[in-house]
Amino acid sequence: MSETTDQPVVETPDGAGKPDMIVLEGVEKIYPGSTQPAVSQLDLSIPQGEIVMLIGPSGCGKTTTLKMINRLIEPTSGRILLDGKDVTHVNGDQLRREIGYVIQQGGLFPHFSIADNIGVVPKMLGWDKQRIRQRADELLHLVGLEPSTFRDRYPRQLSGGQQQRVGVARALAADPPVMLMDEPFGAIDPITRDRLQDEFLEIQRTVGKTIAFVTHDLQEAVKLGDKIAVFATGRLEQYDDPDTVLTRPANDFVSDFVGGGAAVRRLSLLELAHLELHPIETDEAGAGGAAGRNGTAVAEVDGSGKPVSWRHLPGGDATGVPLVTVPISGTVYDAVDVMLDSSASLVAVVDEEGRAQGVLHWNDLVGGLRTRERDA
Amino acid sequence: MNFLDYLASNSQQILFLTQAHFLVVLIAVGIGSAISVALGLAVSTGEPDPRRFSLDWFATGIREGGLVFTAALLTVPSLALFALFLPITGLGVTTAIIVLTIYTLYTVLRNTVAGLTTVDRAILESARGLGYGRLRRLLTIQLPLAWPVILNGIRVTTLISISIAVVGAVVQGPGLGILLLNGISRIGAANSFYQVLAGTLLCLVVAAVFEIFFAIVQRLTIPRGIRV
Amino acid sequence: MSTATTETVDAQAEAAVEEGEKREQTRLAALWSQHYDLVILPAIIVLLLVFLFLYVGTRQLDTIEQRVLAPANVGGLLWQQILLAGASTVLVLLIAVPLGIALSRRGARRVQGPVLAVGGFAQALPPFGVLLLMAFWLDFGFTTAVVGLTIAALLPVLRNTVVGLQQVDQSLIEAARGMGMTSRQTLFRVEIPLAVPVIVAGLRVALVLNVGTATLASYIGAGGLGELVQQALRLNRINVLLVAGGIIAALALLIDWLAGVVERIVVARSG
Ligand SMILES: Nc1ncnc2c1ncn2[C@@H]1O[C@H](COP(=O)(O)OP(=O)(O)OP(=O)(O)O)[C@@H](O)[C@H]1O
Ligand SMILES: [Mg+2]
Repeated sequence: MSETTDQPVVETPDGAGKPDMIVLEGVEKIYPGSTQPAVSQLDLSIPQGEIVMLIGPSGCGKTTTLKMINRLIEPTSGRILLDGKDVTHVNGDQLRREIGYVIQQGGLFPHFSIADNIGVVPKMLGWDKQRIRQRADELLHLVGLEPSTFRDRYPRQLSGGQQQRVGVARALAADPPVMLMDEPFGAIDPITRDRLQDEFLEIQRTVGKTIAFVTHDLQEAVKLGDKIAVFATGRLEQYDDPDTVLTRPANDFVSDFVGGGAAVRRLSLLELAHLELHPIETDEAGAGGAAGRNGTAVAEVDGSGKPVSWRHLPGGDATGVPLVTVPISGTVYDAVDVMLDSSASLVAVVDEEGRAQGVLHWNDLVGGLRTRERDA
Repeated sequence: MNFLDYLASNSQQILFLTQAHFLVVLIAVGIGSAISVALGLAVSTGEPDPRRFSLDWFATGIREGGLVFTAALLTVPSLALFALFLPITGLGVTTAIIVLTIYTLYTVLRNTVAGLTTVDRAILESARGLGYGRLRRLLTIQLPLAWPVILNGIRVTTLISISIAVVGAVVQGPGLGILLLNGISRIGAANSFYQVLAGTLLCLVVAAVFEIFFAIVQRLTIPRGIRV
Repeated sequence: MSTATTETVDAQAEAAVEEGEKREQTRLAALWSQHYDLVILPAIIVLLLVFLFLYVGTRQLDTIEQRVLAPANVGGLLWQQILLAGASTVLVLLIAVPLGIALSRRGARRVQGPVLAVGGFAQALPPFGVLLLMAFWLDFGFTTAVVGLTIAALLPVLRNTVVGLQQVDQSLIEAARGMGMTSRQTLFRVEIPLAVPVIVAGLRVALVLNVGTATLASYIGAGGLGELVQQALRLNRINVLLVAGGIIAALALLIDWLAGVVERIVVARSG
């Protein structure tokens, strides 16, 4: 996916051109003894390799929808296609071995060691011991747990966050193309959750699964999702990329659900690394010759290459403007925060070593932001 | 002659009866537990779907009915059961073992059902989500997780059986009850009190042996991940 | 116009009546679905007794059997059995319940563990042996039997009470203390009312144990239905044996059932 857009709007790449991995056609679920459908006439297509976040108020049918995909719950009517194949009537157990499944409470088997937990599906698929063991170690690595420390432990000897990672590893074990995740980070403190989310995105970058992910946290949906499906009781209200859901809610329900401040919230979606920044030049302290660079900001750097003050600003006087920096791993939200904090109208974006990479102007926020190649 | 002298001079008989008592209990508990655990496994389904007729209905019926029935059996005084079985199975060890076996059923069945059905729903759901079929779920998830509860049921039923087995002497079942009946029938005669005392206290010794046995079995059979 | 109104009113009234009937029906259905198991035991008892009567009715009883099975004889022994079990149960409750409550007080918490452990292990101590030992210590007869029965049932009931009280919601007690109740007030207004179901469960345990052990009281000359079994064995009369076993079983089941019903009512009352 390499598309450069030159409109002033950030675009998440949509699924155009990619085949749909999961397709729900007119799916409906009415629980026995209930008259109201828990999910009614749902049409939803999830393109291959994308993360779709199912979000909505409690009891709106997110879990039900998810579980119908792997037939933990049988739909009352409708069709479900997986990779083009109708799975509404295949053997449920077989089907589930080919779909990764992670639930909120982890659901690790307490009497299995961590390695055995991860090896559950491969074992059922008849892999040999050696291969299962290798795979477990590989996955422990992937989710950031040292295999030699963790493989022989038991679930109760792990923290909640660690158990959650093992849950994800277990779902990935047989390398299923599709993963279903039901509030996998729900029961975890905000800081750990944030880290797990980052790691999750990192993992997804390498594995590229098709993922249906239930959450009730808008922030999480916006951060992780390629698309967001907003549910009201049993109905799909909007299915769009996060940006559209935030900026152009389809109806009152969605805009209520998204709440006020959508535009501000959107800022935290925009990663600085993905923006087209204004160029910046640097000069060693004491060196002269700032003239003739009218279009480019020039910063004076110290011995280690870190910018310390502005020498020249395009179309303005550099004196008295404080030089503030923001790491390139942050979002526009962070940049705004820094600018407001120091009353600066621009901010230097720096890399991990503190070297300047570009400049973001206050005016860019209202004038429009440009993305560059997303995977750069 | 004091109690210890009595024990020493009759050690052969006492040892023999103690062993017999131990064996009768072991056999009865073994048979009873096998029946109860197997039955419990067979009938521990989920709630049956109210709209559809299925085998689950039978299972639920057998489970609930079996629990009520075996619980009722447990309240029947042992003397009555021995009396009722005597005409059918005769005097001796068979009747003793059958009656004892009947008494072991309820506790083990109850604990088996309780253990199997109280396994964390999240664990069962994720097992299902990973593609575990019903039987595999039952045998590799539910049974190991329920095992501590089941084992405790067997332990408790063993303790109860030790004290009931004494009454088996009434139908000439082997065991320490023989000391009790002998003693009371010779009341006033030499050592009759010691005989009864020995019969009563040695039940506790048998119980202690079983407790050690169960402690070892527990250590060996409860999976490491759920050992407390 | 007016007729139309009346019709509507009638229809409404009818609907209301139907509604009421329906509600009554659902109430009964709910009651049934909660307590249907209570019907099973009486059914078993009735079946057992019917079977016994049919069996004995078809048999030609000899004179000895007729004498032993005479209603006066059986009735007397039955009454003795009930007295034995009743008296010892009252004694057990009088001793074990207050003791259990005392053990659940804060000061006595440390002894609880040992009591529970010993109580658990003591299940292996045969009540029969305890009963016989009492006879050596006191004498043959009713009083001795009651003492023996009481002692034999004491530990199990005590253990039951302590376990039950442990399960009484600690947060409620804390809340009561938090509202400024003294520990005395907490005991009488919160803990004991909450513990009533536990006490009733103890009653049931004691009754079942004592009815069972009381059948063995005949071995120390205290009578009771065990006498029937003993006579049958001595005289080698199978018919008597079956009747004796049947009556004892029926009595025990009936008493347990009654205790169970009381337990349900009490639990339902105390919410
Ligand atoms: N097994 C069931 N039987 C009957 N009704 C059910 C069952 N499971 C869920 N429901 C009902 O279906 C509706 C949707 O439930 P679902 O679990 O899908 O909600 P959810 O969106 O996942 O909510 P939450 O955010 O609270 O997890 C709810 O009204 C719920 O009460
Ligand atoms: Mg849910």
